[in-house]
Amino acid sequence: MTAYINLEQVNFRWPQGGQVLSEINLSIEKNQTIALMGANGSGKTTLSKLILGLLKPTGGRVLLAGRPVESYSLAARGRLLGYVFQNPERQFFAPDVAEEIGFALKYRNLSPEKIQERVAEMLALFELEQYAATFPFNLSQGEKQRLALAAILAPRPDFIIMDEPFLGLDWLRKQRLQAILERVRNEGVGYLLISHDQALCARLCSQTLTLEGGRLL
Amino acid sequence: MSSVLVAEGLFVSWQPGDWVLRDINFSLAAGEVVGIIGSSGCGKSTLCLALAGIIPRQSPGQVEGKIFLEGRDLAQFSLPQIASCLGIVFQDPETQLFLPRVRNELAFGPENLCLPREEIAARIQRIAEEMGCRELLAANPNELSGGQQQLIALAAVLALEPKVLILDEVTAQLDPRTCQRLQAIVLDLRQRGVAVLMAEHNLQMLACADRILVLREGRMEEAAASDLDGEEGLSRVYGGGRV
Repeated sequence: MTAYINLEQVNFRWPQGGQVLSEINLSIEKNQTIALMGANGSGKTTLSKLILGLLKPTGGRVLLAGRPVESYSLAARGRLLGYVFQNPERQFFAPDVAEEIGFALKYRNLSPEKIQERVAEMLALFELEQYAATFPFNLSQGEKQRLALAAILAPRPDFIIMDEPFLGLDWLRKQRLQAILERVRNEGVGYLLISHDQALCARLCSQTLTLEGGRLL
Repeated sequence: MSSVLVAEGLFVSWQPGDWVLRDINFSLAAGEVVGIIGSSGCGKSTLCLALAGIIPRQSPGQVEGKIFLEGRDLAQFSLPQIASCLGIVFQDPETQLFLPRVRNELAFGPENLCLPREEIAARIQRIAEEMGCRELLAANPNELSGGQQQLIALAAVLALEPKVLILDEVTAQLDPRTCQRLQAIVLDLRQRGVAVLMAEHNLQMLACADRILVLREGRMEEAAASDLDGEEGLSRVYGGGRV
């Protein structure tokens, strides 16, 4: 029985650059909460993009739910995995917060009532109710991070990857996002959390992986 | 100590009349490191942009009151004149990097100051050594990680050898070791008489600051020791604004 996400002897190098990742072997189950740490340039973001199939390994293979990740269409992959970018603004395109959250649901054969119900649920979970009609770019940094997470979690992906979701947040706003991630965990959603903050990783994740010089320690 | 950057009765807004910063008065002396803290969205970046003359020259916005750079009214400086003595590193390094190789990024500032080639080459070597990024000199900035891009944006500004350095939350993407290295560099700059203003959320980074100022509801005040100690103080500092 293979794990939900499986990386077998994965290597990655940029076409004209050096080796970024070497011989990565990794198995992640659906409901695991894993921290990915490592120095700047150690390959954390690259590894997460390989899991999603946004980058192709130059050696080895990546399996998602038992099948090579590249055998899924991008839409099918999106139904299984959610990805929160380092800069949440990059993923916003809807005219208001509610539509941003509901967008992915429109393509899941859900009735308008069901969509509305789920959007309301996510607005409440992420404490964004009062901004339902707000233009996403007019939110504060903390609100943007919460919206990105809400939009990703709305269609109930099996697993999410978050690339430094605490970036740019002050002490209080970090605390708020941390409390929300604890709720996400309690709902049984697994995640891979990329962060430099050791204390936060220890609180939010059951296991920590460390990359050094392109290898997993 | 002589003041190299002074703000007097400074008001700044992005929308006419809607002041983000109100009546800011402060001065930064040569060889002084000053930290600025405050909640996300409280106006730290706005202050940095105004002090660097970017608002209103390049970003639309309104500035009232006075800013003095080395004793002269900032309004009388052109942007290139400002850049010859004041360097600013932005929060998002991608907005700062645009050349094909890291080496070109580091050379760009000194080349525009019309420095001799040998001097430029020597600066690049020295800065790359200090910042621990020598092996990245031939890399394409677009292929670097967020943290590495942040490091290069910093190195490119340090290559200008500014007398005043403004760092707008530059440690957000840096790993703990690089943060320590940056702290050592800031202390070294201080020794050499450079004035450093650091807007930061990372309170450990501010251990190297001589003074810490708090921005709250658009106004500035000196931080009390109790502001940085324990939940109560931190809630006071970060409690304002939208969470």
